[in-house]
Amino acid sequence: MAGRSGSQFVVVGANYRVHTPVLKKPTFRQSLKGKPIISFIILSIIVLGCIFARHVYNHDPTGFYLQSLSQSPNSEFYFGTDSLGRDIYSMIWYGGRASIAIGLLSAAIITGIGVAYGCISGTASSRVDAVMMRATEIVNSIPALLLLLLLTSVMGTQNIVKISFAIGVTGWCALARIVRSEVRQIRGCEYVLAARCMGGSLPHIMRRHLIPNLVSIIMFVVVSSISSSMSMESTLSFLGLGLPVDVISWGSMLSLANKALLLNTWWVIIIPGLFLVTTLVCITNIAYFFRKETNKRETNL
Amino acid sequence: MAYDEKSTNEGGAVLNQKTAVINKIIKRIGGFILAMLVLSVGVFYFARLAPGDPLQSFYGDAVESMNQAELDAARARLGLDGPIYLQYSKWISNACEGDFGLSLKYKMPALDVVSPLVGNTLILGGTAYILVFLLATLLALLCAMHEDTLFDRIVCKVGTAAYYIPPFWLGVVLVLIFSVNLQWLPSSGAYDIGKSGDISNRVRHMIMPLIVMILSHLWYYSYMIRNKLLDEVRKDYVLLAKSKGCTKSEIVFKHCFRNVAPTIVSIMAISIPHVLSGTYIAESVFNYPGIGALAVQSAKYHDYNLLMLVVLITGILVILSSIIAQTINEVIDPRMKSTEVSTWREEVEASLS
Repeated sequence: MAGRSGSQFVVVGANYRVHTPVLKKPTFRQSLKGKPIISFIILSIIVLGCIFARHVYNHDPTGFYLQSLSQSPNSEFYFGTDSLGRDIYSMIWYGGRASIAIGLLSAAIITGIGVAYGCISGTASSRVDAVMMRATEIVNSIPALLLLLLLTSVMGTQNIVKISFAIGVTGWCALARIVRSEVRQIRGCEYVLAARCMGGSLPHIMRRHLIPNLVSIIMFVVVSSISSSMSMESTLSFLGLGLPVDVISWGSMLSLANKALLLNTWWVIIIPGLFLVTTLVCITNIAYFFRKETNKRETNL
Repeated sequence: MAYDEKSTNEGGAVLNQKTAVINKIIKRIGGFILAMLVLSVGVFYFARLAPGDPLQSFYGDAVESMNQAELDAARARLGLDGPIYLQYSKWISNACEGDFGLSLKYKMPALDVVSPLVGNTLILGGTAYILVFLLATLLALLCAMHEDTLFDRIVCKVGTAAYYIPPFWLGVVLVLIFSVNLQWLPSSGAYDIGKSGDISNRVRHMIMPLIVMILSHLWYYSYMIRNKLLDEVRKDYVLLAKSKGCTKSEIVFKHCFRNVAPTIVSIMAISIPHVLSGTYIAESVFNYPGIGALAVQSAKYHDYNLLMLVVLITGILVILSSIIAQTINEVIDPRMKSTEVSTWREEVEASLS
């Protein structure tokens, strides 16, 4: 036994090879699964069309074609003309710029104010926090539209920046509250305590812990605030308090809707509206993609 | 002896409870008055910052032909002279006596312009409010019972799309289809001339505004309630009820729905400003004579006395109804304390966003 064991010595692990699991690279199709591709494609077509409007439109969007008032869609004016004789096809691409710019600008303002207010309120002492939250409640207790009416009537003639400002200033309450509750929650977490024990400064904690946690949560609110701002702008313009008719946007095009009703020219109402709604739905679909997937437990029913 | 002690203790507890309730009510009324004051100061200062000259909208072109003394007299008559805080104190002391100033456009006391319209708005808004929440609750119950089935998914998808249709556009399209082309329904007003007492006529005028309001709010709230119900369905007592042999509908309607009911009342309370916004849009689109359409008009013509009154009325409506909802909640759900109010509000907002 003993002699044999000497010759039959087996080195343990001589054949050991590091096990590297072969990762199948996901195919292009798989990596796209669950992502809002259709919305993305439609949205990029619309946005690109608006950016390169100069190459897309076939008439002057600001020109008045007085020979052809209220024409139904035909081969020259693809989407018809409105009661002022303007070409709707050209106006849509040109006016989309203003609408999208307003959406982005007011979403930026909402995010800026909301995050700043929420962070301050979340990190302040409980008394200050209560006062700040009370203030948002009072602002929230007036319908947003009424506040906007007040603001826009005070501002006089509107332009893109002014109207984005008005929409942004009235729309940040919900975001501020979400940020605040999230900040409060994160502040109490152990890892933040650990970071502070190790001597992490406030900016460090903010950069490394607070902001990465916040971004995933507020992303949905931020993206969907683009679409709600665009919808707000069109509502205001329709009510006659937004952009004037000569500044072309989807909203100000729809402000001619009442006149179009009298003339029974459906294309003036339906076509810009469809563009607006499609854009809004696409943006929202993309926003849903950013949303944290929660509540995945099996149902008990 | 022991019995007596017990009864006096109980009496004390009841007394304590009563004073607690009274204290709570006093606190709420105090908060209400404070909120109204803050609101009115804010709106008043704000309105005076406006660029448009109120005199211009009151007198029109006649302003240009007036001399300085006449202008000053006109300002004094309309309460537009002196520093802002004096103007405000004058305004508030008048307001306590029911005088909210002259409407600059209609040249009548603002209260007289607003008061006949408040009823119209309340009828429209109230009907829409009740219908929205009835339908939303029903839809949410159906969705929660059939979670992740085709029905649920279709409702969610269609709902998302419907929520992002701007309500004014929906209204205009409805007018285009049903009153311009098909001529089934009237396109504007609350009633035809001389038929203010005719109920069927009023109902016909309300159908389209109601449809617009319901379609633009229904999904939002049913989705919220649905999510709440889905959270509830995942709790352990559902498993117990199921093992006892309760049917699905029994569990959802008798157990889950009851537990969610306070949340629904809370959602209803915070939804009031949102639904009122909807009323404003519907009123402006359909030219329905209500305070919403009036607010839009007065904002257009810089009629600040009127706008302020509308803002105050809206604020009163909203704050009062949220107080009522809180009280109802405490009655139907004793677990609900005033400290928890902010918590559910956040929960609701997180679930809808």
